[in-house]
Amino acid sequence: MLVKAIATRKTVKLVVNGKEHILDIGANETLADVLRVKLNLTGTKIGCNRGECGACTVLINGIPTLSCLTLAIECEEKEILTIEGLGNPETGELDPIQEAFVENFGVQCGFCTPGMIMSVKALLNKNPNPSEEEIKEGIQGNLCRCTGYTQIIESIQAASRKIGRR
Amino acid sequence: MARETMKVIGKAIPVMEARDKVTGRTVYVDDMKAELFVKILGSPHAHARVKSIDTSRAKKLAGVEAIMTYKEVAHRLIPFGRYQSCSAMDEHLRHVGDYVAAVAATSEAIAEQALELIDVDYEVLPAVFDPEEAAKPTAPKIYPEGNVRGPSLQEWGDINKGFAEADVVVEDNFDVTPQMHSAMETHVCMARWQGDELTIWCATQTPWELRGMVAYFFEIPESKVTVLSPNIGGGFGGKYVGKYQVVTCLLSKMAGGRSTKLTFTREEDNCYLRRPRGKIYAKVGARKDGTITALQLRGYFDIGAYERHYATWCSSLSYGTISYKTENARFESYSVYTNHFHAQAMRSVSAPFFTFPIEQVIDEVAEKLGLDPVEIRLKNMPETGDFVPATPYVNNSGGCKRAKLDIYPGRQMIQQVVEAIDWKRKWKGFGKPAAINGAKRRGIGLAYMMEHCGYCWESVATIQVIVNRDGSAIVHSGAQEIGQGINTTLRMLAAESLGISFEDVAIVTADTRTGQYDAIGAKASHQLATHGHLLLRAVEEAKQKIRNLVAPVFNAKPEEIEIKGKEAYIKGHPEGAKPLRDLLSTAVTGSAAGAPGNWLPDVKPGFRPYQPVVLAAEVEVDIETGVVKPIKLVPGMFPRRMINSAVVRGQAIGGAVMTLGMSLWEEVKYDEEASTYLSRDFTDYKIPRALDIPEIENVLLEEVDETIPPHEGLPYGGGGLGELTCWGGPAAIANAIYNATGVRIKRSPLTAEVVLEALDKEATK
Repeated sequence: MLVKAIATRKTVKLVVNGKEHILDIGANETLADVLRVKLNLTGTKIGCNRGECGACTVLINGIPTLSCLTLAIECEEKEILTIEGLGNPETGELDPIQEAFVENFGVQCGFCTPGMIMSVKALLNKNPNPSEEEIKEGIQGNLCRCTGYTQIIESIQAASRKIGRR
Repeated sequence: MARETMKVIGKAIPVMEARDKVTGRTVYVDDMKAELFVKILGSPHAHARVKSIDTSRAKKLAGVEAIMTYKEVAHRLIPFGRYQSCSAMDEHLRHVGDYVAAVAATSEAIAEQALELIDVDYEVLPAVFDPEEAAKPTAPKIYPEGNVRGPSLQEWGDINKGFAEADVVVEDNFDVTPQMHSAMETHVCMARWQGDELTIWCATQTPWELRGMVAYFFEIPESKVTVLSPNIGGGFGGKYVGKYQVVTCLLSKMAGGRSTKLTFTREEDNCYLRRPRGKIYAKVGARKDGTITALQLRGYFDIGAYERHYATWCSSLSYGTISYKTENARFESYSVYTNHFHAQAMRSVSAPFFTFPIEQVIDEVAEKLGLDPVEIRLKNMPETGDFVPATPYVNNSGGCKRAKLDIYPGRQMIQQVVEAIDWKRKWKGFGKPAAINGAKRRGIGLAYMMEHCGYCWESVATIQVIVNRDGSAIVHSGAQEIGQGINTTLRMLAAESLGISFEDVAIVTADTRTGQYDAIGAKASHQLATHGHLLLRAVEEAKQKIRNLVAPVFNAKPEEIEIKGKEAYIKGHPEGAKPLRDLLSTAVTGSAAGAPGNWLPDVKPGFRPYQPVVLAAEVEVDIETGVVKPIKLVPGMFPRRMINSAVVRGQAIGGAVMTLGMSLWEEVKYDEEASTYLSRDFTDYKIPRALDIPEIENVLLEEVDETIPPHEGLPYGGGGLGELTCWGGPAAIANAIYNATGVRIKRSPLTAEVVLEALDKEATK
């Protein structure tokens, strides 16, 4: 589809990973593009740019959202959490989900991983102790071509146990 | 070396890249910023000729910095691997999406707008899509010399005699349709010229081949081209070399060297590469006791417009065909150009084409003879020490070597796999479902094959190890990490052989300036066998150099010195060990390269490392809707020795789910009327999602010849494995559907539509 440059622009305040950014944004710019290009937060991936693969998943006010289908100007004043905002970026301490993905081989090529982990973050926030079926439902929107999902599911179960222990 | 004495090998050590991947710090090519964006104008016709092309309107658009058409690259053929050379652009367009023009502009939107301003007048030509149609002399010619390559012919014994000796002969024909690679990261390439030096950042499995290709194209020495390929978002055989890389580099050059980046959209990626399509005729003869006397296949493969590499060449053919110890066999294949986008290697690319027909016809033979599917396979399965093929070749256009099987635990594997699927309890006979619940029928099925995964192609690679003064080590490698864990695996091998920890080993890779080479790249699951083998030889060389240096300190001969765990000592006297730090004044380097021409070496003289693979499937078929629900998969494989047990398991499960997708849901669809592919996205090309995954139980067998030193033959006995579970889904599931319904499905994928149509056809018989 041809995307024409649209003249309409807006100055928008985005809150990303707890930091405020005042940005001049075109009305047709997606949140995925703004995060990746304007804020250099390239952990958010674009796998299809049409809302089918989940690689661009971020949390907006805690809700997992496809940033490739979200216009950035719609995110004014909302809390956006990306993969870079998990764990403690200052100390390098990982979120228990990230730790569990490393330890349980939930990662192969890694391209789906950030979006997958953001979906898991939302899932475990809501349901810290999900069943296998609930885990599958929670990541149903996130495609992975490498792992066959089993080690991802095991990573999520391990993350759930880690969170339970804290 | 016995497992219990090993400190690193066999452990589940997290892959070294995982931490950066889970934090989003890993930089993939599309995460890098370029000055210019590249967009490609694709052909709207499946077969056409450019009568005229005018780019003047597009050139006037502000922000357009370079435009290329076939005129810029006329008559400059790119040598692609094994097969068809082609221009980066051609006035002769051979498939929908074939390159008409490309633009580099300061924004993606401007580049897209510019494409609309290019005026093209096409002469539309008749197109052909079916490989058998395209093979006819009257078919539209995609190349002046015709559309057919072949036949490739592998034959042994006397096929006519074999059929004459048979009590039962079954003949059938099959159609195996393509699967696409569908890596989550689409194809992407970035290029920049500085003077006459070119740097390319590319998600490629074959950086060395890419370097050679562009150096040839631009007529510059390979020393002036650097390919960087650090992080790749999935490959599966899809990310080799292509015209797009040349286009990106040329546009950078035309734009004064400014960096250009081409990122495929998902729609472009889904119309770019795939497995071939195979139309196969199969015929099998057997005696009453189940002994197979003759096995014959004839196949026509749609390889698309620009097939490259080894989609259907003969030695790929051989592993699908030597699986059974029949004395008479004939395999004949034709690769045929069509007006579809092209085929390329993909994770045991040819295997589904041979297993889907053979494994179904073997079941048909068993049914006629009143044998169980397990029984007939056990009866005809070769064993350790057997020759494959059973009798000498009479035709061998693949140049395959007849050799003995070194270790072949096929029987053990099939027995463990059928136990895991609970075969004895569930198998009630052909067409007799394991269970019935309303419209739902449960069935089980089996597929077996012999594969030769992970060749040691030692002549194509070089590798280097640097032992630092403190005894830690750095590996310089040309192997390409694509998520399969080869970097971690090589580090583990180096650590084990030096007697140091995994953390003590670093690896430098994905940069052609290291000089550590792999002519073929991450293909055919060969990197563990090839680079692992060479790495251990490099370590031996470094150790020998250190022995020579330190022997005088110990008043000993070099051969009396042991180098282990950052120390040197006289063998048998570790109490007298001295740290290497106190003995060496520099780092010591060891390197290894295969002897030219030495590819596929024997593991020991006259013996080849083939591997049995077995897949059992249980499915539930809804006979009212045709929907097939997978219940359980049991992939069995023989990695010989697992270097990293969790990485092996990840490959096993990942492959099994990929073949499941090929079996049930993934279908490339083309609308001839509209000249458009319908499978351009993940809604219409359905790859497996989490909820689609059934229970998966792996059978992983390990066995090595402990008499062979770790650095001879396969590294510590470990064999390639990335493709071992990615072939059998369509065959095993078709057999399971037959068990559930008594209806044989001869076309893949086994979608609800295909299954329902077959069920209806059977019902109206």
